[in-house]
Formats: sequence, C-alpha cells, structure tokens
Amino acid sequence: MGKGRLGGPQRLRVDPVACDGIGICARVAADLVELDSWGFPILAASALEKGQERQAKRAVRACPRRALLLQALE
Amino acid sequence: MTAALRLIGGVRAEPVRGSVLDRVLSYPGTGVAQLRTWGDDGDDLASHRQRYGARPSSAGRHADELLDALERAALSGRGGAHFPAARKWRSVRAAGGGGTVVANGAEGEPASAKDAALLQHRPHLVLDGVTAAAETLGADEAVVWLHEEAHLTRAVVTAALAERRGAGLPDVPIRVATTPGHYLAGESSAVLRALSGGPSLPEFRLRPSSQVGLAGRPTLLHNVETLARVALTARGLEPSGSLLTVVVGGRRVVLEADESQTLSEVVSKAGWSASAPPQAVLVGGYGGRWLSWEDAAGLRVTDAALRAAGASLGAGVLAPLPVGGCGLAETATVLSYLAASGARQCGPCRFGLPAIAEIASALARGEARTSDLARLQRVAGEVTGRGACHHPDGAVALLASALTAFADDVVRHGQGRCPGADLARVLPVPGEE
Repeated sequence: MGKGRLGGPQRLRVDPVACDGIGICARVAADLVELDSWGFPILAASALEKGQERQAKRAVRACPRRALLLQALE
Repeated sequence: MTAALRLIGGVRAEPVRGSVLDRVLSYPGTGVAQLRTWGDDGDDLASHRQRYGARPSSAGRHADELLDALERAALSGRGGAHFPAARKWRSVRAAGGGGTVVANGAEGEPASAKDAALLQHRPHLVLDGVTAAAETLGADEAVVWLHEEAHLTRAVVTAALAERRGAGLPDVPIRVATTPGHYLAGESSAVLRALSGGPSLPEFRLRPSSQVGLAGRPTLLHNVETLARVALTARGLEPSGSLLTVVVGGRRVVLEADESQTLSEVVSKAGWSASAPPQAVLVGGYGGRWLSWEDAAGLRVTDAALRAAGASLGAGVLAPLPVGGCGLAETATVLSYLAASGARQCGPCRFGLPAIAEIASALARGEARTSDLARLQRVAGEVTGRGACHHPDGAVALLASALTAFADDVVRHGQGRCPGADLARVLPVPGEE
C-alpha cells in the first residue's frame, strides 16, 4: 500500500483516521497541502505533476503519524 | 430494463415480480425492532420452500447465469449506497474470487426496521442469497453480521441455520457475528475492521473490500435485503421493489413498495391520513434529504426517481413531517445525534459535526445570526468528503436539504419563536425514548 508504480501518475492521500492534524505536511509541502480550520490537511484530488513528486515524498516521510501516502492512479 | 423471463407452459410470460415481504408490519418508534407480529408467518424451511420453491444451483456452470441476471435486473445495494450489485460481484471475480460473503444486518439507522423485519420473517430468503453469492463467486465461508442487542433476529437466524444444516442444504459454512449496536456498526469498512479483530469503526481503505477484504481476500459485503433480492433473482423472479420503513404516528411501519408506486401512495399505505398531507418528508435516513411534500408526493419510490429529485432511496427510510411540525428543530435534533454518533476518528468530522449541530440548534431556536449561516456554509464545505466514511457527508447533505426545504422557516425563525419547536419530535433518536 502506498508504493506507487514507477513513473505512473500518483496522488497524495491522507488516512483521516491516522491523521492527528499535526500539520508538518503543510510546512514541508506547502504547494500541495492546505490546512482546514482545525489544522487537518486538504489535498488536491488530481495527480501530482512531475516536479511535485519530490515534495510529496518529503511530506509522506515527515508525517509522525504515517498518515500520508502516495497512491498510484489507474 | 430487461427483466428475467420465465417460461410458463412453454410460453414466454411477463416477468414475475418477486416479493421479499408481502405484509405491512408495525414496530415501536425506537429501539431494537424485534417484534414478530404475526406468530406463524416467520418462515421455517418448509414454509419458505412452499412460498418460493427450491433455489436452483448457482455453482459451476451456472455461475455466470445469476451474475448476468443481476446485471439485467440492475439490482442495487440496499444498505444505502445503491451501488450496482453486479459490478461488486465482478470486482470480486476480477480479484480472483473466493473469500467471504458478509450479510450485513446491523441496521444502524434509528428510523429503520426493514432489515430486522426481513431477517425475522424471511431468514431463509436472505440465507439463500448468501449461498447463491458464495456459489457464484467461489466463496468458502459467510458471516451474518448483527447488532448484539438484536436478540430475536439472532435467535431466528441461528435456528434457520440449524434447520438448513439438518436438511443438508449445500451452504458454505455460515456463522453469526455480532457487535454492540451503534450508528456506524453497519458501515461496510467498520464491519470488515470488526471481523478482522478490530473495533467496529470505519477505516480508511485504498482498495475496495471486494478486492482486498477479510484476510486480504476478496469479500462480498451486502445488506441483507440485497441478498434476499439475489435469492429472488436466482429463482428467475424480478427482484425490483424496495423494503421501506415509514415513520407514522410514532411508529416504524415496514412495507415493500414496487417501482410503480409513488411516495404519496406508500405513505398512505403505511397509515398516513390522506386528509392531512405532510409538509415535507425525510427520504433515505438520517444522512438523507428533506423534500417538500409538493416536490415529493408524486415521485416514484425508486432510487433513480429520487436521485433525479436530488435525494436518494438510501436505507429506505421515509419520515413525513406533519404540517405544524418544525423541520429545523427536527433537523437540529438529528444533527446532534449524528455529531454524537461519529467515530471521533477523523478530525474534520470530530470538530466539524458538533459545530454544525450547534449552529443548527441555534437556527431552530431562532437565535442564529447572519454570521452563523456564513460559518455553517464554510464548515459544511470543510467537512464534506473528508472522513474515512460518508458519515459527515450525509450530515452536511441533510442540513443543506433542510435549508432549502424549510427556507421560509429559516427567515421566520429569525423573527420570533416557532410554535412547532415545542412539539414532540417526529424523528426517533436513540437515548431519548
């Protein structure tokens, strides 16, 4: 789970059950993550663009709750 | 829609519509629905066979026939989402088949009693559906999932299973599993999580359970009414029609409607007086939609017709609101219940629903300010689609529909106290009976 296929389109997802609204993701990936009124991440539903994947991976690694993941799109 | 055709005396007859429950049943307004109202009409195996005949096999070379028939009949899931059953089955197959069939009878909607009524009166029809699905998909086990408090339902299902074993029916092993009842205990991901040893609370899933479910294997989870309709389809009967629970006079009335009937006809059949039509009706359940009676009365009771009107058949609940009642107060009561019934797992739902419920209560009391309405819109937008399950989405949609259906009341509530707010609530909420 969470391992996108090499090269294919990917999307950043959040497991809302695991997420505690700590908000580190919004700091390391400010272009991809917005926070709502309570500090929980709002993510774009669209596929990541080429230049965004590195930032997305940084956010995935930075989450202390391991709530972020990359999903390969069909 | 092409219906299954039956050959009668070698002549092609009109498709015969199957019925899963040909009676009108009445249950108290709240609590576990466990009243077997007419002693001898709960089917044992003999009366079940007399009523429906034997179930043809769906195993081996017959496996495709049932799947194709479900597709032709466009049977949809009756737990609330109305997802096409055939598509779910094909997804299980595409993932290799096998696995488990789960019959979901954990009826969490407080206003619903149709699943309890069905299991208590037609247990063998549901179990036939379980076996037909298991045969078609190659599943090797099945589970009937119930609320722990549903004692009569459990006793009836357990007795039916013993009868079937005694008669040597070709069932896969079917067991009964239970969980303490609550609003989300029947949510599909919560069912799988509980059956995997966790709490019966929703979980985040990247892939559907039809592909990766129990023990990582494909899992077919259907509401019990869906499976009863599968059992009709397996017999060549037309599975259309819907079990409904209509809230009338403080009671929950369960009946089956066919696709030609209108909301107005169904509500009358459930005992609502034709001389005093309601002002509005809640359609689907507590995550459903309010429709004004003017808009709703003539609609046919099918998911497609209701969707075209901006609602959905959902879990089959119809709750008419009498003239004089306060739709905003009803909505506020339900939203407070929904906020308290969340799993408290996902932030937007945990923080957003209580905020929404609070504003809805202020609105009902006539104490909301213009700024509250703006805040309501913003919070609703932040909550929708953000949970592991659709609980928050349903609550937000209910409120949005109330603001439309009771738009005049919103204005009037700003001007003074609503006399209807003091009346007893029409919609049952657990813990307040």
